[in-house]
Amino acid sequence: MKVTRRDLLFWGAGAAAGLIVTPVPWKILDDTSIWSQNWPWIPQAARGPVEVKQSACTLCPQGCGLRVRMAAGWPVGVAGVSSHPVSRGALCPLAFGAHQLNWHPLRLKSVLHRGTASSWPNAQAALAKAQKEGPVVIIDGYPGRAASSVMEAFAEKKRGEYRVVFSPETKSLLPYESWSKVPASALGYDLENAHTIVSFGAPLLDGWGTPGRFTRLWAERAADRTDPELRLIQVEATLSRTASRAWQWIPIRDGSEAALAAGLARVLLENQLVQTRGPLPALSLADAAGQTGLTEDAIRDLARTMIAQRPVVAVANRENPAVAALNVVLGAVGTAGGIVRKTKTARPYSSAETALPSARAVVIDASVPWDYVPQTDAEVFRFAAWDGGGSKADWLLPAPGFLEELKDVPTPPASATESYAIAPSLTKSLHETHGAAQFLASIDSALPTHEQIIHARCQNLFRLREGNLYAQEITPLAKIESAQKLEDQLSKGAVWMGTPSKSGMIRCERKEWPAFTAAIPAETWSESWATPVLPPLAPKLYQESSLREPPTRRTA
Amino acid sequence: MSARYGMVIDLDRCTGCGSCMVACASENNVAPLARATARTGLTPMLVRKASNGMTGAARREVFIPIACMHCEEETPCVKVCPQQAVEVDKGTGIVMQMPQRCLGCRYCMTACPYHARYFNWWDPVWPAGMEKSLNPGVAVRMRGVVEKCNLCHARLHAAKEKAAGAGRREIDLADYVPACVEACPTGAIHFGNLADRSDPVSQEARSPEAFRFLTRLGTEPKVYYKSKEAWVRELAESASGSGARTGKATLEIRSEEVTHG
Amino acid sequence: MRRGVLVFALGVAVALAGGWIVFPRVLYVQKQQPVDFRHKTHAEKSGVTECGDCHALREDGTFAGIQAMDKCAGCHSERIGESPAEETLVNHYIKPGRETPWLVYARQPANVWFSHAIHVKRARLDCRECHGAHGESDREKVYELNRISGYSRDIWGHSMSRLRRAPGDGMKMADCEACHRRHGVEVGCLGCHE
Repeated sequence: MKVTRRDLLFWGAGAAAGLIVTPVPWKILDDTSIWSQNWPWIPQAARGPVEVKQSACTLCPQGCGLRVRMAAGWPVGVAGVSSHPVSRGALCPLAFGAHQLNWHPLRLKSVLHRGTASSWPNAQAALAKAQKEGPVVIIDGYPGRAASSVMEAFAEKKRGEYRVVFSPETKSLLPYESWSKVPASALGYDLENAHTIVSFGAPLLDGWGTPGRFTRLWAERAADRTDPELRLIQVEATLSRTASRAWQWIPIRDGSEAALAAGLARVLLENQLVQTRGPLPALSLADAAGQTGLTEDAIRDLARTMIAQRPVVAVANRENPAVAALNVVLGAVGTAGGIVRKTKTARPYSSAETALPSARAVVIDASVPWDYVPQTDAEVFRFAAWDGGGSKADWLLPAPGFLEELKDVPTPPASATESYAIAPSLTKSLHETHGAAQFLASIDSALPTHEQIIHARCQNLFRLREGNLYAQEITPLAKIESAQKLEDQLSKGAVWMGTPSKSGMIRCERKEWPAFTAAIPAETWSESWATPVLPPLAPKLYQESSLREPPTRRTA
Repeated sequence: MSARYGMVIDLDRCTGCGSCMVACASENNVAPLARATARTGLTPMLVRKASNGMTGAARREVFIPIACMHCEEETPCVKVCPQQAVEVDKGTGIVMQMPQRCLGCRYCMTACPYHARYFNWWDPVWPAGMEKSLNPGVAVRMRGVVEKCNLCHARLHAAKEKAAGAGRREIDLADYVPACVEACPTGAIHFGNLADRSDPVSQEARSPEAFRFLTRLGTEPKVYYKSKEAWVRELAESASGSGARTGKATLEIRSEEVTHG
Repeated sequence: MRRGVLVFALGVAVALAGGWIVFPRVLYVQKQQPVDFRHKTHAEKSGVTECGDCHALREDGTFAGIQAMDKCAGCHSERIGESPAEETLVNHYIKPGRETPWLVYARQPANVWFSHAIHVKRARLDCRECHGAHGESDREKVYELNRISGYSRDIWGHSMSRLRRAPGDGMKMADCEACHRRHGVEVGCLGCHE
């Protein structure tokens, strides 16, 4: 039988007609639509039980409480803890994307020795050798932790020194340390009891201290600008975020904060508006006016406004002795609503930003900001979870990332009350990482580990029987049954907070008005994030919107 | 009873920190977009800036968080969508965008008076391994579709599920808190049921300090703002532009809003 | 002309045969469950009678789905009986602490949100209404993976024509909608989508 073209056409028409009454076209259409709605290359979230755990943020020393949503064992979102006495439910904008940091492309995954891949045993051998040959200097950016104690002990044993890179808040307290011999780490700003705050460029609403502490206080007592219970006066060259939300903004010339402080002190002292007596600043009111760009009357007005609603305290953005001296004039040192002493136990630290002693090796902890460059010829061991780029370190050692390691959270700098928390590790390490303390303890087995120190600290705290433990509810520490119970609670995200410090005398011995120092521009979150990299979602703030200035590229 | 979820944003308490923007992107699985700019970015919650148009010490600025306003009447995006990919939900009043149904024509983006809609210009890509940090309650959108604030519907789902698990019919509003509301460090964003006259947020929305943007369009947005300062309230009917030029209170212009020159 | 009709009919016949018999076999890949689990055996030997005894709701209302390994390990920490499935379960999964990679018949796409709590606890639907008599089955049926969509055949339903289906056969959006319409429950798009 011969198959003709006509047969083929008939057959084809029949097949087509038949196909319509089969599932073939309809099913393929349907399946294709399902496939195309969920392209296989679009990532999907992991399936698994969702649970909420509590920890604390350890990316900077401000000790914010974290509520972490976990799915299938990984963090999928962070939020603040509203009952947290330190951070009061708030976080900085960057923390909301911090749970993605561990997978950041700049994450350090393995040991690097002068740019080439090496290993942990090599690094260990190198430091073990170095510590036999000479002193070891250790640099910490977050003093007071259990890990800091390990580093301090190691440096002491190895005839080296333990140095600290201070936070801007601690730096602003350093002048009081040199005048009163009370360590800056024992001092704090009692903002909760102040009624007027004069900020000399301190970004109070934008990355100063624990974010929730002042922003909450401001929202409750200062945001209503018509007649605020707490007057916030912002002295700053530009209309910053804090300035635009302040009760008053005093625009002055950039860097003339010290001159204004001197001018204000002169008005207060000369007109006997305050009870204190002290050395008069060398600067005349006319010169202060000239330098700041304000009129003499404006400075006089500001001086009177400052003391109209007391207690008043001045806050500097960095180390600014003139602003500190103004506080002494205002009688704000050692009084409620001013500079208070929160603890008797703290000790002074030496700054890492002054000349380092000669050493065989320098170990830099992961908490040290990436823009700190040690001035030394020694072999540098730098710990970091993320690569900040342009490192001069001989050894780059991967440290645990966000929520990967058990840490403790001592009192944040500048806070007025002591606190203690534990940040339990919530996720497993993505890479083989070690913290500096852990590494040092592995070299000298006589040193206690930071876990042992945390345990001992919990026992000491338990014996103190002071303050309250903030968990689901607030329990006085005296009512906690055992040290173990306390440690268990802390490990689940509870926070201990001491009783607010009673104001006590802090005697500031000064013979003369401090020498003039130019103020350093304030740093805000986008510029001074403690870790070298920003969370992957942070560009929403400066790239996809014009809310913030892009961070200046760090080149160490 | 059907609810009408809405927000009252206290502009006097907004410090413009941007926590809401980051928390929103994290909650809703918005990918980090390396190449995105203000024109091509994806910010379902966006904090904008406005000033009183003055210079020197008299200058005042205010930050205005803008997400979808969930227009109740004549909802512009619903009216123009050829795909029925967006609807006003009867039970909640939420303007719901269904990215899977969207064909990407972007009529809705042009129609939206608040510029609150965003287009996925790129496939969502995360650095290797970071997909483990995705919120399991929200499906990741593909390239070529429009998205916007759905009032954290994943959290509404979770609240509904919790209520059903506990044998309750109605959700507990304490279980349904959108990410921006939760993130705000000053508590400036208040979220509640506007249909319930006893709800503090609904009362706040009716206070003399409260206002809404562009009410002249008659779309009845369900996001209210409030301020004690009169110049801030004057922003309600103003268009964006350069405040320095007009000397009047104006919203700062964004690059995608420049249509000439 | 007769010949033309015949050839046409032949075309129809080939298409019908291909579409109804060959196509389903090509479209679906048959897969075996990792462990030869038996619902009936569990019902008979361990006295488990309710679906919810194993497929439970968590405290927050979310559905635990197929039990995590620790639930199985509660009884099967050591081998019970001599079946080869027991051997696989204990030696491959329970002892090394690995989750069993069950093939989930009812797995929905990522953009679907479904709450068991709402349907089972509030609407009091019987498990059978969606899952059919799966719980009474003797052996787990063969899992048929759709090559195009990547989901189980159970979503479309076993019947290719979707006509005259047994209860619980098919879990497409149309099935959800039909049931919602029957019960007069209206939810918006995002009521069921993520």
